Amino acid sequence: MKKVIVIGLDGFEPKIVEAMLARGELLNLMKLREQGGYSRLKTTASAQTPVAWSTFSTGTNPGGHGIFDFLTRDTKTYLPLMALSRYEQKNAFVLPKVVNMRRGTPFWDLLSAKDVESTILRIPCAYPPDKVKGRMLSGVGVPDLRGGFGTPTFYSTRTGLHGEASEKVVTVSVENGKVATYVIGPRDPKTKSDHKFDINIQIDQPNNKIIIMSQGQPDKVEVGLGKWSKWLKVKFKVGMMQSVSGIVRFNLRQITPDFELYASPVNFETEEPLFPISSPQEYAHDLAMKIGRYYTAGMAEDHDGLNNERFDESSYLDQCRIVLRERRKMMEFELGRFEKGFFFCLFDTPDRLAHMFWRFTEPSHPANRGDDVSRYAKVIEEHYRECDEIVGEAMKHADNDTLFVVLSDHGMNSFQRGLNLNTWLHDNGYLALKSGFKPGESGDFFQNVDWDKTRAFAMGLGCIFLNRKGREANGILSDGDVENVQAGIVSGLTGLVDPVRSTVAVRSVARGADVYHGPYANEAPDLVVNFSEGYRVSWDTPLGGVPQGLFADNTKKWGGDHVIDPALASGVLFMNKKFSAGSPGLVDLAPTILNAFGVAKGAAMEGSDLLS
Amino acid sequence: MKILVFNLQGAKRAKLFANDQLENFRRLMEMGCFGELDGDPQEWNILGRHESHTLTLSEFLAQAGKDVTMFDDFTALQSKLKSGAWDCCQLNASFSAGGGSTDPYLDFDLGLGETLQHLSDDTLLAIIGENNFVLVASNNPITGYQDGSTLDLTPTMLELAGYPLPSNIEGKSWVAGMELNNASGLSEDEQAMLRERLSGLGYI
Repeated sequence: MKKVIVIGLDGFEPKIVEAMLARGELLNLMKLREQGGYSRLKTTASAQTPVAWSTFSTGTNPGGHGIFDFLTRDTKTYLPLMALSRYEQKNAFVLPKVVNMRRGTPFWDLLSAKDVESTILRIPCAYPPDKVKGRMLSGVGVPDLRGGFGTPTFYSTRTGLHGEASEKVVTVSVENGKVATYVIGPRDPKTKSDHKFDINIQIDQPNNKIIIMSQGQPDKVEVGLGKWSKWLKVKFKVGMMQSVSGIVRFNLRQITPDFELYASPVNFETEEPLFPISSPQEYAHDLAMKIGRYYTAGMAEDHDGLNNERFDESSYLDQCRIVLRERRKMMEFELGRFEKGFFFCLFDTPDRLAHMFWRFTEPSHPANRGDDVSRYAKVIEEHYRECDEIVGEAMKHADNDTLFVVLSDHGMNSFQRGLNLNTWLHDNGYLALKSGFKPGESGDFFQNVDWDKTRAFAMGLGCIFLNRKGREANGILSDGDVENVQAGIVSGLTGLVDPVRSTVAVRSVARGADVYHGPYANEAPDLVVNFSEGYRVSWDTPLGGVPQGLFADNTKKWGGDHVIDPALASGVLFMNKKFSAGSPGLVDLAPTILNAFGVAKGAAMEGSDLLS
Repeated sequence: MKILVFNLQGAKRAKLFANDQLENFRRLMEMGCFGELDGDPQEWNILGRHESHTLTLSEFLAQAGKDVTMFDDFTALQSKLKSGAWDCCQLNASFSAGGGSTDPYLDFDLGLGETLQHLSDDTLLAIIGENNFVLVASNNPITGYQDGSTLDLTPTMLELAGYPLPSNIEGKSWVAGMELNNASGLSEDEQAMLRERLSGLGYI
């Protein structure tokens, strides 16, 4: 094959796709199904973006690439850590280096070795990017300028507001139609204060807009009421001679009675990113010169702004459209000059949009609380139609000598009820709080957990770790105790019924040793909880909270999720060539793509060529 | 704390402090304190003078039973550092001769960068030029510009490195009476930062 083109649609749900195809919609995908075929695509344990795309890249189960969840834990401190990459510093005197925690061998390394060029846009878990023959732009895993998944800022004249989740709140005052404030930059580790970039806001009330004036580029940025601004390039002086640049967008929520403005997380600027986000390093900026500035943060869509009600659904939709448009421009620019080799572009928006709009498809969803659901009930389907158009655009670049693939990493489902996994472990004697504390009196980060009496704890999106001697800092379980404790948790949680709804919340609990194998399996969670549709770990669980009560309604706007039993969270696979029936999985893509170029699959790759 | 000294005889302040091509040097400046020194540039290592005897930094450390070694090239210094078996190392270089084909300041910065790879956090690092210096130690409470006498340098270094200062010394430790930064573990601020970084994920 001369070309392989893969379009990734993150979180594209087969049940929605199949229903739309049955109604005669999604014509481009339908055409692909006729030319080659369609199947649901087996996802990973757990069904999460970084885990699944890492399996796509390496062709191994998570034990072969080391990514098991967005989060992992520090065995020394029990604190949660970002699992996708790590900043390593040999000692205090040298610069930190960012290290990709996705290990294993991605298939593009094997292509590069055979001189096959790749163009890979927004692949998750490639931060810093892999060195490929061709070009790569990193996706999920690239942080914002404050080093996290994204810190937005909310400016308000109301006093007493506090920041939700990662958000920062800046209280401002309006004087003579002007507001003097600042954009928040990186934290200075020495002074523990935030670097700031001054902005002056001129309010134009009759025209329902503001003008943001600064030393940035451009020096004046207009923001209309309920609208997103263009990018503003800001610069933070972080040392005597050093400065760090970033880009930020604003959304004006209201002018009166209170002035309220939202600023996106500050994204890396492509010209001088803090750490490399593309390979070769200058590629990210070359691309920006061709198509304009674009979101560089892994999590581009500002779901937090909507979740925290700092702007409304229509602003979120607008932003999703901006991200989609940017991504489409990237894809079209690169496909326009693509002649041979491997091409990949990931569209994250179907996932981010469905997380936030799922509740509108279920009138009884606890997050609706009387909202009129009809206005947004069709948003996800409309978005799927746009994605189908993008597929059609990409298909124009496929000839007879092209393998053309559309796939998603996992599906999407309802998230109505959350299980407080640490509270269950506490109530069943596996997790102990310090004497005198009850669930609900312990904050996140396992505050007030008594490690000397704790045998198991939950962290991340459904992972349970045992507190093992010689592994965790205060481990108490010896090797001989492991089997008993695991068996107890498995039998206790399996089939757990939500008393309010009288439905089974937990379908099963998988043992890490049964589902993961390979060189990094020793880093895996000891147990993974497989939830039923409609359930997930509660909001308080991932960062180590032990709240009161076992189950909680999910009343957040983030009303859809997919971190459930992977058997219920399959993705989709469309190919323009006939492929073997059976049950294809994400592990099969790497061997299939390699074989299309006549390159043998890697020794660790577990799947098989779907075209043979 | 281990002590690593770069003794750059004749190195000029303007060439060291104002050149942003010296990436490693500049980073160290921002991490610690730096400044100008009054007095005889040769006397920075003097702790005290008593009649016929002069007590220097290296002699003081040797008397305390410490391993003190002098070097005049980076290669030998680095292999000593790599061995881990050392208490105090000093690299002596002359910047006054000139005439070489390459910029000695850039060469030094390059060697410095490679040398830094072989250190542990528990190291006090001093770069001493002609009446100028940079001092970096994790517990150093002083940051930014600092001036004083050349004779203050050795008492300051010894105090930061955790040695009791002898009586009858000539200079004055800049950190005398100050609380040193010996914090370990995650501070509340660092925990708040970690929470912020992770909670932007959406799923949590």
